[in-house]
Order: sequence, then C-alpha cells, then structure tokens
Amino acid sequence: MLSNTPGSPTLHSTAAMAVELTGITKRFGAFVANDGIDLAVRRGEIHAIIGENGAGKTTLMNILFGLLQPDEGSIRLNGEEIVIADPSVAIKAGLGMVHQHFKLVPSLSVADNVFLGMEIRRHGLIDHAAQVARTRELSKRFGLQVDPTERVGLLSVGIEQRIEILKVLVRGARTIILDEPTAVLTPQESRELFQTLRSFVAEGMTVIFISHHLEEVMDVSDTVTVLRNGRKVATRPTAELSKDELVRMMVGREVSFDRRPRASLHGDVVLEVKDLWARDDRLLPALRDASFTVRSGEVVGIAGVAGNGQTELAEVLSGLRPASHGVAWLKGQNLTALSPATIREAGLAHVPGDRMVRGVDRNASISANILMGRQHRAPWSRGGVLNWSAIGKNAETLIKDFDIRARGSGDAVKRLSGGNIQKVVLAREFTNGADFLLIDQPTRGVDIGAQEAIHDEIMRQRAAGRAILLISVQLDELAALADRILVMFNGRIMGEVAGDDADEERIGMMMAGVAAPEFATETAR
Amino acid sequence: MKDHLRAVSGQIIAIGVALLMGAIIILMVGESPVRVFMTLLRGAFGDQEKIAGTLLQTTPILICGVAACIGLRGGMFNVGIEGQLFLGGFAAAWVGFAIPLPTGIHTLAALALAVAAGAAWVAIPAYFRARYNTNEVVSTILSNYVAVLLTSYFTIFLFKRPGGWSETPPILATSYLPEIFTFSRLNWGLVIGLVLAVGAALVFRYTKWGYGVTMVGSAPKFAEYGGVNVKRQGFLVLLLSGAVGGLAGGVETLGVHHRFMEGFAPGFGFDGLIAALLANGSPVATIFTALFFGALRNGSLLLEVDTSASREIITVIQALIILSVSAQVLVRKRGDSQAGERRWKF
Repeated sequence: MLSNTPGSPTLHSTAAMAVELTGITKRFGAFVANDGIDLAVRRGEIHAIIGENGAGKTTLMNILFGLLQPDEGSIRLNGEEIVIADPSVAIKAGLGMVHQHFKLVPSLSVADNVFLGMEIRRHGLIDHAAQVARTRELSKRFGLQVDPTERVGLLSVGIEQRIEILKVLVRGARTIILDEPTAVLTPQESRELFQTLRSFVAEGMTVIFISHHLEEVMDVSDTVTVLRNGRKVATRPTAELSKDELVRMMVGREVSFDRRPRASLHGDVVLEVKDLWARDDRLLPALRDASFTVRSGEVVGIAGVAGNGQTELAEVLSGLRPASHGVAWLKGQNLTALSPATIREAGLAHVPGDRMVRGVDRNASISANILMGRQHRAPWSRGGVLNWSAIGKNAETLIKDFDIRARGSGDAVKRLSGGNIQKVVLAREFTNGADFLLIDQPTRGVDIGAQEAIHDEIMRQRAAGRAILLISVQLDELAALADRILVMFNGRIMGEVAGDDADEERIGMMMAGVAAPEFATETAR
Repeated sequence: MKDHLRAVSGQIIAIGVALLMGAIIILMVGESPVRVFMTLLRGAFGDQEKIAGTLLQTTPILICGVAACIGLRGGMFNVGIEGQLFLGGFAAAWVGFAIPLPTGIHTLAALALAVAAGAAWVAIPAYFRARYNTNEVVSTILSNYVAVLLTSYFTIFLFKRPGGWSETPPILATSYLPEIFTFSRLNWGLVIGLVLAVGAALVFRYTKWGYGVTMVGSAPKFAEYGGVNVKRQGFLVLLLSGAVGGLAGGVETLGVHHRFMEGFAPGFGFDGLIAALLANGSPVATIFTALFFGALRNGSLLLEVDTSASREIITVIQALIILSVSAQVLVRKRGDSQAGERRWKF
C-alpha cells in the first residue's frame, strides 16, 4: 500500500500528467472491482499496469475509456477535469484503446477497417485511394507493417492487432491504452509491438498497457503500477524494481486472512502424483514433471502466478485433459486412464477455477445444478427416472446448510451473486462423499463475507478427514488454509514450504522462477 | 416462470410483427389483408373437414418438430430432417408393398424400418460430428439433397410402378395407418405425434438421460465436468432426432399417400424445424406452433380460389416469421451472446 494515500506529492505535479485518476471506485453488486484507485501517468511514458486476473486492471481502463462509469472518483486528462460519459468523449479527448478482443470486419480491406465509421469521402463516396494512402503512411511511420488493401479475414491475429492500433491512431489518439496486447502474440510479434510502442513515445505520445507478464513489463515499461484485489499496491519506476519484488507486490505481502487453527490429523495418502506432464491447448508442455502427495486430513496448497500450469494440473486430475506422461493415483486407481465420470466415482470432488463455465449451468435451477454428478445414484434417480421431489428437498437443505442467498431451489443460478454461485458449487461438491477435493480458486471474485464462509467450509472438510488440493493465486489464502504449499513456475513445482511458515520471500522467489534448489528436489516428492 | 412468460410473449410479438409485414406485402400486391387472413382462417378452420385437413397437415410438421426439439435440447441443430423424412417415407413404402405381413404388424414393421432409415441416415453426420467435430448444420443440410435424390432414384429406376408416375406401387392395405374419421384422410399419425411430443417432454424432464442431454445442450463444459459423456450424448441425440424424422416420413406414407412418390412431402422437415425454433425447443409448445403452420398450409389452399393473392404469400409469411423470431432471439440474448450464437449458429 505504498501510495494508496491520495495526492502523494511526487505523482501529482499536474502539468506533465497525461492521465490522472483519483479515488476511482467501482462496485458490481457487493463485489468491489476498483477500490479507491489513484493513478497518474506522465506524458510520454510507457506505463504498465500489472496484476493477477481479477485485480481490476481492465475495469480501471474501461472506466478511463468511458466504457464504465465509476461510482466514485474523478478523472483529469492533461490537467483538466473531465467526465467521460462514453468512449466518443474519450476519443475526442485524445484517448485510444486497443481491446483484448478485436472488433474488425473480416470481409473488408485493412484500410476500410481502419476508417470504418469515419470514412474519407469525396463527392459523397468513399475515397478508397485516400484511405489506403493514409493507412500506408501511418503504418510506415510507426513500423506497423500491413498491406492496406488486404482483406482482414485473411490476416493473422498479430496483424489484426496492428490494424486495431492504426484505427486508434487515425482517430487522433495521443494516449493509447492496450489491454493485454501480448496475450495473442508470438514472441517475435511482441518484440515488434514493443518497438512500435517505443516509437509512439518518441513522438511524445503516451502508452498505458495492461499485462500480467513480468518479463515484458520489466523490458518495455518506464513505470509500473501494481493492482491487487481491486486496490493499487504501488506505482514505481521500473528501473528501481526487481522481478521478485514485482511478484510479491502482485500476489500480496500483507496477509489479510488469519491462519486457521488446526489439529494435525495426517492420515493415509489419498492422492499420489508422479512425474506428471501435460500439454496446453496449443500442445506446448504446460505441466512438467509434477510429483507430490496429498494425505487425508491435509490441505496442500498450490501457489503460483496464474498460467504456470495450475489449470492443466487441475484438468488432468479431473479427467478433462489427457496427461502426456506420468501417473496420478487416487486411492490406488490411476486417474490418467479414467474418464471424468469414473474419476468422480473413484472419489473426486472438483471445485473448478472457471466457475461460470465449468461449475454451473447458469440457466438451470439450483436443484438441477446440485444434481450434476449424482444423477446416477439413489435416491436422486431410480431405474433412470429422476426423483425431483427428493432432489428439490435436498437442494433446500443445502441452501440452508451452506447459507446460499436465494429465494428457493427453483431459482436460476444466474440470478445469484458470484459468492452464492460458488456456494452452490461447494454445496454440490462437498456433499457427494468424495475423499479427495480438488479446489481451484475458491474465492476468486467473491466478496469478503462469502470468502470467510468458504474458508470455514474448507476447514470443516479437512477436519472430516478429506484430502484437499487447494490451487490459489492468492498467497494469503494459501497461508490461511494450507498445511503445505507447493510453488509452481512454468509448469514445474519449484519447491515446497510449510503452511505455518509461509515465508513470502521464498515463495515470491520461486513464483518468479528463481529456484531454491535445496528444496526443489527433496521436499516436492 | 417470469422467464417463461417473457419467452412466450416474445414469440407472439414476433408472429404479430411477421403478420403485420405480411399484411403490408399483401397490400402491395393489391389485395386486402383482412380478406386474405379471413380466407386463411376459413380455409384452415371453416368446417370439420377443413379442421381435419389442417390437422392432417399439422401431423408431419409436428413429428418433424419433435425431431428438431430432440436435437436442439442436446445442442444439435439437425437441419437434415427433410432428408430423413424422405428416406423414412421410402423405407415404410418398401415394407408396405414388398413384404406381406398381417394387419397391424405390417404397419409396425413399416414404421420400424422408417425409424431405422432416418437414424441410419443421420448417423453419418452424427459420426463425423462426434469423431471430428464437423459442424452438423452443414453436413445435415447437405445430406438432404442426397436423401431426396436417392429416393427419387429408387422410385424412378428400381421400384417404379409399371405405367405409373414417378411413384412406387401402392402399399398393401394391411400396412395402412387407420384413419380417424370417415370424411378425412386424417389418421392415427396425429396421435403418434402428440404422444411423441408429450413423451419427449417427459423424458427430458424426468429421466437422468434427459437431464444429461439437457445439460450438454445448455452448458457443455459443465456437463463434461460433471461426468456426462458429451460426445456420446451428442451422437445419440442426433441419432434419435433422425429416427423421429424417419418416423415422420413413415407416418406420411402409411397414413396419407399409401405409396412413395417423388417429392412426396415437400418442406415438412424444414417447417418442423421452424416450428421447433418458434417453440423455443419445447416439444409441447411445438404442438401449437406446428398447428399454426399446418393451418397456414391448409388455409392457403382456399387462398387462390377465393382471392387474387398467390398461395406463395404463405411462404413469405413463414419467412417473415423466421426473420422476426431470430431478430427477437438476438435482442433477447444480447446480454448472453454465447447462448444466442449457439442456438443460431448459421
């Protein structure tokens, strides 16, 4: 919380500032996406905004661009206070935004896309030649290699992004916001993009870019602002920062959850993972040589910056992704050979990280959501026929037990808040009698009250002798709940720390990829 | 419940808008919309024979509609019902004229082969969908042409009635679907359609298989996570949908035409799909939308007799309904474009 106090003097010497946000707060229901954020961006700098998924980066930029209205706070551009009611105001004021998802018309040419909505006209008709010439000139000036006459549908994602940038330039932007620009690019394309960004700055323009990749932030930015859980952690010149300092700011140093008291009741090994490898959707190795065990009555935490193989690990263990090598035994059965249904039979309960897509059918009722995975068993079905009255009664009981705020079991899940949707998932998964609980990001996007309740429930499951693998990008959550914490980086388990000795220094080093060799080899097994 | 009401009112507004636009077009061709619509109404429900005629037209649309509903429920867009109907119709006719069997058993055997033919025909796109994730919309559309032309080939070159038109020999009376009234060809096919519609609704609601299929259709990743075999259920759903499509053809052959002829039931498969979409994929609601389309078809017969409007105006109105229903769905689903795209993926 270095500069969360408004008006810290170094950052607010007005004239040189292209963008100043003061005390920006944005709530979605009970969830606070941005909590009193101050941000000052100097003219002519590359300013990186870094943070985990859900830290509030995109929300903040959408507010700046007029796509969302802040509940509190004010915006100044070039020293002048402004209300950005919608993006057209932002564009007039010299802001431009390149979104994560491109909005191009595939059947039109590059130049037509660039000038879409602001066509150059001659005698009332579109002057294609002038558009092509202007596009060519801009693309040459900033090293954005594109052929203005090519049809967009035939081009690669990297080139599409250049077109989006050209669109922004043509509309006269002096401050350009890019939302995770490198997420879709190859390393080569990323390097070219960074060169373009530097050429913008050389012409006196300002660049704000969102990222959660440490390396590129260290490489290109002049200044970094770190967001976490909707709050600003700090704004610092990049040159003064090291990579693992940055990691620690991203995942948090202050522990906001207290460590839960616990009795040691380590029982038998329930899950044993050995030399497990898996590929991601692009078929690149994403999980590398993971080996660990989880015992009954034990919470094993997996820490790491998002995207370092945790998702793939969870998917392999739940049968949703094939392992490319290695084994995982759940009570003696090799999971890597089983389907999701048989793994559930073997004793897995899974709270998925992608709750809205994997965890629920948003359009179905709470009853129908709780039925999933147990529809084959009595009393929920007999001879293939469902017993809706038993299912409904059970759902009502669980709504009470798990304190789900809903009108009744017939409510569609989409009517509930994020925290209550997660409670529906927990109610289903924690009551199906499984011995092994795979819990992925249990409190992401969930308000504080519900977080406490969810943590209580996880501890109750531990006390009941369940073996729990808890994957979280929140270090404080792991420190509160886990008996042991494994740290993942680039698909590998870098090392292990005991939960009651969660030394954030060491965890931060491992999360940034600095191996602690003396741990990595022995204790990870 | 509120969602329900909103969905229903949406569809009614869509139909209303389509009829209004239809009225404008009728005005443009110089006819009175009031007279056209009154004639349609009279042609569809004017007396008991007309009502029976409407129900006769409704029957194949209803059965095809149920076939489409089954696919939609599992997230599969079976646009090949027309082809399955043709093959089913031919298969039933073949049993009807080529294999003498006792009354009753003969009908059942013919219907069974119709079902098998429909299922077998959709099995090809269904397999490619399950194995290679081929878009079933495209492959089922294309399979229509092959099916229709294949049955033409059978009728013209292999089983042509000597001296007759492009049609097979008549089926034996032992294989007829019995008629309900003496004054109409309306037959027990309508009852089959109603039972199927209600049965499908019950299966989706009250069996664990129906639950799994529904989840595959509305949240495939969730179903996969919960242990439902998404690919297998998708395959089965298409197969079942095709089977019902084949049955529609069998009913049409055994109940109405008593032979198979080239181009014997044009457009019923597509009308069924539209009826199912208008009914939001609900089999029970499809009973009413199928009746609506059946009434349009039957009412149009009187149109050219009593007014100067062409009966093609019915096709125009149907097209307008499709347009306004899809526009309505797009507006309603704007907040949930994924679901919208899934249902309207062509």
